[in-house]
Amino acid sequence: MTGFIVRRVGQMLLALLGVSVVVFALIHLVPGDPVRIAMGTRFDQEVYEALRARAGLDRPLVTQYLSWLARAVVGDLGVSFRSGAPVTELVWQRLPATMTLAGAALLVAIVVGVPLGIISAVRSGSKLDYTASALSQVGVSVPDFWAAVMYILVFSLTLGWLPASGYVSLWADPVGWLRHLILPALSVGLVSGSIVFRFVRSAVLEALNQDYTRTARAKGLSRRQVLIGHVLPNAWIPIVTVIGLQLGFLLGGVVVVEIVFAWPGIGRLAFLAIGDRDITVLQGTVLYIAFMFLLINLLVDIIYGWLDPRVRYD
Amino acid sequence: MTDPILSVRDLRISFGSRQGRAHVVNGLSYDLAPGETLAIVGESGSGKSVSQMALMQLLPVPPARVEGEAIFEGRDLLSLDEKEIRKVRGNQIAMIFQDPMTSLNPVRTIGHQLLEPIELHLGLKGSAARERAVELLAMVGIPSPAKRLDEYPHQFSGGMRQRVVIAMGISCEPDILIADEATTALDVTTQAKIIEEISALQERLGMSLIWITHDLGVVAGIADRVVVLYGGQIMEQAPVDDLFEGRRHPYTRGLLASLPVPGDERPDKLSAISGLPPDPLALPPGCPFMPRCPHAEAVCRDRPELRAPVPSHRVACHFDPSDLYE
Amino acid sequence: MTDTAAATESTQPVAHRSRLQMTVSTVFRNRLAVSGLLVLAVLILVAIFAPWIAPYGVNELNVPSRLEGPSLAHPFGTDNLGRDVLSRVVVASRVSLQVGFIAVGIALALGVPVGLIAGYYGGRIDSILMRIMDVLFSVPAIVLAIAILATLGPGIFNAMIAIGIVYTPIFARITRGSVLSLREAVFVRAARSLGATDGRILGTHVLPNVIAPVIVQTSLSLAFAILAEAALSFLGLGVQPPDPAWGRMLSEGRGFFQQAPWMAIFPGLAILVTVMSFNFVGDGLRDALDPQQRSVIESRGVA
Repeated sequence: MTGFIVRRVGQMLLALLGVSVVVFALIHLVPGDPVRIAMGTRFDQEVYEALRARAGLDRPLVTQYLSWLARAVVGDLGVSFRSGAPVTELVWQRLPATMTLAGAALLVAIVVGVPLGIISAVRSGSKLDYTASALSQVGVSVPDFWAAVMYILVFSLTLGWLPASGYVSLWADPVGWLRHLILPALSVGLVSGSIVFRFVRSAVLEALNQDYTRTARAKGLSRRQVLIGHVLPNAWIPIVTVIGLQLGFLLGGVVVVEIVFAWPGIGRLAFLAIGDRDITVLQGTVLYIAFMFLLINLLVDIIYGWLDPRVRYD
Repeated sequence: MTDPILSVRDLRISFGSRQGRAHVVNGLSYDLAPGETLAIVGESGSGKSVSQMALMQLLPVPPARVEGEAIFEGRDLLSLDEKEIRKVRGNQIAMIFQDPMTSLNPVRTIGHQLLEPIELHLGLKGSAARERAVELLAMVGIPSPAKRLDEYPHQFSGGMRQRVVIAMGISCEPDILIADEATTALDVTTQAKIIEEISALQERLGMSLIWITHDLGVVAGIADRVVVLYGGQIMEQAPVDDLFEGRRHPYTRGLLASLPVPGDERPDKLSAISGLPPDPLALPPGCPFMPRCPHAEAVCRDRPELRAPVPSHRVACHFDPSDLYE
Repeated sequence: MTDTAAATESTQPVAHRSRLQMTVSTVFRNRLAVSGLLVLAVLILVAIFAPWIAPYGVNELNVPSRLEGPSLAHPFGTDNLGRDVLSRVVVASRVSLQVGFIAVGIALALGVPVGLIAGYYGGRIDSILMRIMDVLFSVPAIVLAIAILATLGPGIFNAMIAIGIVYTPIFARITRGSVLSLREAVFVRAARSLGATDGRILGTHVLPNVIAPVIVQTSLSLAFAILAEAALSFLGLGVQPPDPAWGRMLSEGRGFFQQAPWMAIFPGLAILVTVMSFNFVGDGLRDALDPQQRSVIESRGVA
């Protein structure tokens, strides 16, 4: 198991290194001078020189990359071309909001997708299975940002139950926090929940049709005992994998939905950075999102190894 | 014959499907004596496995429909409710399945899987249950059983896994053990060993054995009596020696001819039966074997009764088999 | 030796023909797949004949009748500039399908060769290529597309490239997986023992057998590509005004939500129906061609 984790961490670091190359390349592929563009009308030769030097744009590429990487490793991602604030600080300020939304969306996806998927599989062919499967077809096809817009239309503008946008700190106003969180979390979570549902359903169905399930039933175990003791322990393995992979999609959804709800997370930060052509900020956000995603996948791999003895004892 | 421990009467099983109803077992009747080994032989799709799964109510209903009765200890197994049949499963009647690679749960330890029936039916707990599990593994010939209890199926070889499956089957000393192609997935040497071990266990525990197989070669070594199934019906039923000696249904003859017998000059040219088993969606109204039978005549369009030309040997054929081959 | 080759060559086409027939009949028995196909056929016709179907010009301004609700004259209502929403939805179908097909075409053209080479040669080449794919995989698809577009600049052409790059790894992985399982297959070894060149083996023996999972993935990827294009246009990174695009119309509609919800509802429905049709067809194809493969809809995050 230790060897397995070490190997996975190594692969993750390698992938992260690759991502850093891609992210670094962003700044040099941009047509024109990113600093000049970012400064726009407030152009000032002195500031311009300083920013360029700070970004190291006057040195050879490989040197630039290595020093950028060295600084990135210790958390220095440079300063915003637009505001001059350190990128790391900007990202960290917005990280909690993004994590809150991603976490809440994941919770919605799991709470909706997993139990429904299990019930649908156990009662496959029933009316409930039919309805849930049909709804999931809509769920996987609906654009999350459109769902967001529709929720606002119905629940905020028409019914007036929930706020249409914004974010409130949990500590300042717990109820307000929750009220602001519900619609964005549903927008992303129900789409992911549909995907999770479909996967759970097929994984459980597959496990139900295995020989070992028949063996377990032939021993005299009840349906419940067979489900809990034999079917689910096997189904969890693909389910966990998919929930992990889902998180990439979910993070993407969060980025877009943050913009609809004016949610002050890193997705909105990246979006505003694009508008401002603030390349350092964009670099930082992409790097952080990739890092989060890789970290989650690492976690999923570890859980996977813990669930599957065949991997654990490899 | 002593009173049978199990009496199956007119068992009929069909499955509903989009293409119509598939009639897989069509009026199967047989008895099983205490301590007896009954072999049920047939090609895949002959209904042999399904008929046994039905006894333990392991078929999904619907799409399956099961009719007839199976009397065991004065009760009809087919009409027991879920709670009652669960007390029979794994306890009084146990079943071991074909593929040792897939019939064990890959993410649960051998110990966990072996302890389940022990705790459930014998009411043993903790170290007593564990002791019983170790004893069982030793009984089926697994070396250092106490240590292996905490291992997972993927750490066992195919033969060892099948031994574990057998240990699970006999854990509650069942009255009847149903072995569904239990050695088919194993190599020939392991197969012979396992068969030998099962026979020894049968003697030791005094259980009846139902051996389901497509391989008449295996049958010769283990069975007391043989039932040959075709299209979900009995074609021939006889003590094992009678079946191999003579008076055989054309289908049985075909099955036997497909066995490699060194040095034996084959009396007929039917080395493998040509054609396909009958489609359960559209069974012929007469003798199900008629389309493939080399001796078929007009009379075969009527369904033949299961007759007993000699006592204890029953054949479903319009002709006297001995006339056909002499 | 020649016999073996002849046997391989002669059995393959037969197997393919019957498989094709089976596939077609399985797909057509699947009611969802058939309805998906029908809707797609209609959509493609609408896209082709859009300028003739649309009752008004896409940028035909009619400010006096702005923000009008659905009526006989304007079945989907009008937008804030008095433009006919139906006409814009109809014409935008062109862009969506175009971006979808071309982006997936790019992903196919890049991913399949990478997967073929990685799987067939194995070893070093395999690890290098697949590590590169891993890197692309380790950024969530839409975020990567946003980053690429931020670099290349917004626009429909760049959106196609960005989406194409984002979906390249999945094709590489699927192709590689199928190739790996084929590399030691008897007919491949037979061809190799006959001295066939690698290129020939890849082209005539391996590629045809990789096609099934790739076709399934293509159909599902079309669904994602259309979703991605909509998201990018929604963010203002895809199609640029005044050209109509579903995602863009949605974001324009947000500003007039209370007065004119139809501005956002209809383009969204158009996306939903299109994506759902591709998903139905993809699922149907998967059931027919490749029942073992897990639905990638179920793992949309992978793509």
